[in-house]
Amino acid sequence: MRIFYEITIKSIVRDRIFHGILFSSLLFLLIPSVAGLSMRQMTELSVNLSLSLISFILLLLAVFLGGTHVWKDLERRYTYSTLSLPVSRTTYLTGKFLGIAVFLLVAACIMGIVSAGIIQYSAVIYPPERPVVWPNLTVAIVCDAMKYMLVVAIAFLFSTIATSFFLPVFGTICVFLVGSASQQVYDYITSPATKDISFVSKQIATLVYYIVPNFSAFDFKVNAVYGIPINASGLLFVSAYFLVYLLAVLAVAAMIFEKREIV
Amino acid sequence: MEGLKRHSALLACLALFYLALLFPFVRYMKNRPVVERLGSLPTVETLKFISADQKLFIGSSLVMKVIIYFGGLAELEKNRIIIPPDYAAMSRMLHAAVKLDPYNIDAYYFSQAFLTWDAHQFKVANNLLIEGMKYRTWDWSLPFYVGFNSYYFLKDYDLAAQYYRKAAELSGSELHASLAGRFMQEAGRTDHAIAYLELMLKGTINPVVKRTFQLRLTAFRAVAQIERARDAFKLQHNRLPTSVNELLATGFLSTMPIDPYGGAFFIEPDGRVNTTSRFAEKLDGKTIQEGAERKR
Repeated sequence: MRIFYEITIKSIVRDRIFHGILFSSLLFLLIPSVAGLSMRQMTELSVNLSLSLISFILLLLAVFLGGTHVWKDLERRYTYSTLSLPVSRTTYLTGKFLGIAVFLLVAACIMGIVSAGIIQYSAVIYPPERPVVWPNLTVAIVCDAMKYMLVVAIAFLFSTIATSFFLPVFGTICVFLVGSASQQVYDYITSPATKDISFVSKQIATLVYYIVPNFSAFDFKVNAVYGIPINASGLLFVSAYFLVYLLAVLAVAAMIFEKREIV
Repeated sequence: MEGLKRHSALLACLALFYLALLFPFVRYMKNRPVVERLGSLPTVETLKFISADQKLFIGSSLVMKVIIYFGGLAELEKNRIIIPPDYAAMSRMLHAAVKLDPYNIDAYYFSQAFLTWDAHQFKVANNLLIEGMKYRTWDWSLPFYVGFNSYYFLKDYDLAAQYYRKAAELSGSELHASLAGRFMQEAGRTDHAIAYLELMLKGTINPVVKRTFQLRLTAFRAVAQIERARDAFKLQHNRLPTSVNELLATGFLSTMPIDPYGGAFFIEPDGRVNTTSRFAEKLDGKTIQEGAERKR
């Protein structure tokens, strides 16, 4: 597994993804100036913009690395030589996933450190009414990274059945959008305002809610931006949910990949 | 070599065309109708769906858009071009912004700034602020704004006292506590407005909003000056003065206070001090100064 993990990391470095992240990170430098447009919450806006930028860059990395890596290996027939080695396809898939997941985590840490510097700078220029809660910021970034690891796993799942990169990329984006809105839809259909919606529709919506990943659970941006306390048991729930859902998606992906005919 | 020359020539031509197009294009974009620039907004549900995990960012962007739009109009106003702001669109955007980010103080602060004196939507402003209080449970400014609106605009003194008490509890401020006690009756409206505007002014670094509050504060200080002279006049003559000029002629006022909105102060039959500018009303198709000249 280690060899696939190392190959993946090397391949990401070779593709100059790090250069791309460093280039995108230049946008962080603009944050204090943009935050100056705010009237009452300059530092909060700096935290908000930093987290949004981190989230956006991680989304791009997760969708494109997750959606193209396995497909690229299949397309270029690297899998021929790789899978002829005495290793299982599950090991190959897991190694690849770990490579991308670790890369995402490293990217999130680097961007987190940069944004901490930017936020501290904003807090000195525009002292906030309430101090920045750094542990909340850390939780928000780590949970964001966890969410995008889950997105990579879903992209891998699509990659194992896809014959082109369209399905992994666009399928993952669709699941991401649905998964980000699923909690809202569930809250809506279970509210008293939806008496007119039929029982069957509600059951179908509830079933979809149970199946699709709940990405809004990983969103702690409000807590980080406004210093609202984070519920420790909620954090435990989210971590457990992440582990179980991630392993389940990877297991299904591995099962399909084991059966896939590679020509 | 020949091919390279051809390509360079083509590129140079395109660059020239681009430059020729660029300036009229920039002019067109700058002069686009204001409503077009503020843009229309999808429903909040759609926004929530498409913004995925960027709800706070989209919420802040909407607030920024309104601030920049309003700032642009204020800049035009400085150059004597007056375009009435689209308050309805501004209100829609800020309401959508707080649906996406219910903690965003900029949205509440800016709504309070324009929905009251400018758009006269006092109840809409109060409802938005009361909704915000559910989230910003530590923030004294929201109940303070509701208290002010209830007192000053809606003349609901019980409600005003209730919200001032809440603001006092949250801030521990003597001012809010004394306001809560004082504003069971209508006396001291101008002083109250001045205290409110001074607090609003302290709360922002945005130059456009600062300027708006500064202007209003100057107007209210002038009103307070006339009111003090009126009260002194009444004490001495046992009747109300008929005009500001009478106060000037009898020495109760040393100079004629200037209305920064370009209007002229006058005393209403019941003694209230008012101005022809109504503190906010702009004159259609005229500059502020032209309007003032026309009135004179």
